[in-house]
Amino acid sequence: MTSVVAENDSARPSSLFDRLAWHWRSNPKIDLWIAWWGMLIFYILFGVIFVLMTHVIPPPSPAWSTEQIIQWFGEHRDGIRYGFSLTFLITGMAALCNAIIGYSMWRMSISKAFPIAYIILYSLSAIPGMLFCAILFTVGALRPERDPALIVWLYEAAMLTFVGTMGVFLLGTLVWLIAVLIDKNRVLPPWFGYLNICNLLTEVVVAPAWTARRGAFSWSGSITFWVDVAVFGVYTAAFIAVLRRMVEREDFGSGPLTD
Amino acid sequence: MTTRTNALSEKQFGLWTFILSECVIFSAYFVIFMLYRMHDAEGFRSAQTQLSPAFGMLNTIVLLTSSWQIALSVQGARSGMHAAAARRAIITLGLGVVFILSKLTEWTRESRSGHTFGTNDFFSFYFFLTGIHLVHVFIGFAFIAAAIRNLRGDEASAESIEAAATYWHMVDFLWVVIFALLYVAG
Repeated sequence: MTSVVAENDSARPSSLFDRLAWHWRSNPKIDLWIAWWGMLIFYILFGVIFVLMTHVIPPPSPAWSTEQIIQWFGEHRDGIRYGFSLTFLITGMAALCNAIIGYSMWRMSISKAFPIAYIILYSLSAIPGMLFCAILFTVGALRPERDPALIVWLYEAAMLTFVGTMGVFLLGTLVWLIAVLIDKNRVLPPWFGYLNICNLLTEVVVAPAWTARRGAFSWSGSITFWVDVAVFGVYTAAFIAVLRRMVEREDFGSGPLTD
Repeated sequence: MTTRTNALSEKQFGLWTFILSECVIFSAYFVIFMLYRMHDAEGFRSAQTQLSPAFGMLNTIVLLTSSWQIALSVQGARSGMHAAAARRAIITLGLGVVFILSKLTEWTRESRSGHTFGTNDFFSFYFFLTGIHLVHVFIGFAFIAAAIRNLRGDEASAESIEAAATYWHMVDFLWVVIFALLYVAG
């Protein structure tokens, strides 16, 4: 067991610019902080794009008529095109999220198979969960004169791949959950391990979105979407917070992390 | 010793956080169910009569009995009778299996009667609530299996079975509410 470094608070300059320069040159955890801030910025941008720019969250109804879908694309045409082009610019930042989460497992007293499995699973999950949806919506918004039947097809395929594929994240969540609960290095708190179960269950609950066109179980339903998104919001805030705490506590050793 | 005590407290805190979170999430499901029921009271009442109260009662009795068994298991483990506690935990698991088989039989019966997830709102909630509850029963199996392993090991203690029992009682409590909402509430 070794404990190697801690951030030297006394040496930090006071002005913002100098402080940033100091961190860049001297902070031994600079790579971890870059990953953590990258993750935070990614989730903020994700929220801005999906909620404010493209209006995909909250999701429009699966029961809409062709006219309503065409109107929705018309109203949000610019937001969808600019928002999703931004999505492709920031997609690489998802790797920072996977990296810092993978690092948390790498630091645990468990097999390295856990972080490797997690990173592979979550990297693949982003394809149906974010990129397919962005492509399909953008194609739908690109030519308003396109055959309405095709626009409806694109709309339904995009929403199903966005909301309905949460299940592909399930195994990744399961890997992190088991890792936290069996870890003896106390890298992340046990309550967060259990919170993973709540998030995992939302990924099961979303399954009815594939069959229901209206009501609580449709892709915009109170159970399939709203309860799930509330749990996911709490879960995301929690893992951003516990990962920050992990970076603060990191000593680059191999034994239990101290508080 | 201090580290061990703190670690245990952390685990217990984690478990209780999880249980309270699950109760909040299920409360949201129940409130949404009630709102849909208020919106279509007659439709829900009519669909409810299609369910078999006998199956609901059987499920409830089986789960309540399993909760009693796991409570006895905790009592045994606290008294140092780890082998007896493990046996009670195995009985709890067995009753959990009976619950699952009973639920699968009930679902098959409903499907054969033409009641599926898409039949109407009531049956959507029926299959969803009983289904997600069943997933929790499976998670409970993992807790109990871990507790049995601990009780049979060299470092047997009451903590693991206490955690399993706490979770199992929540599963039981949630079932009682689901039973009341789906089978009983008029």
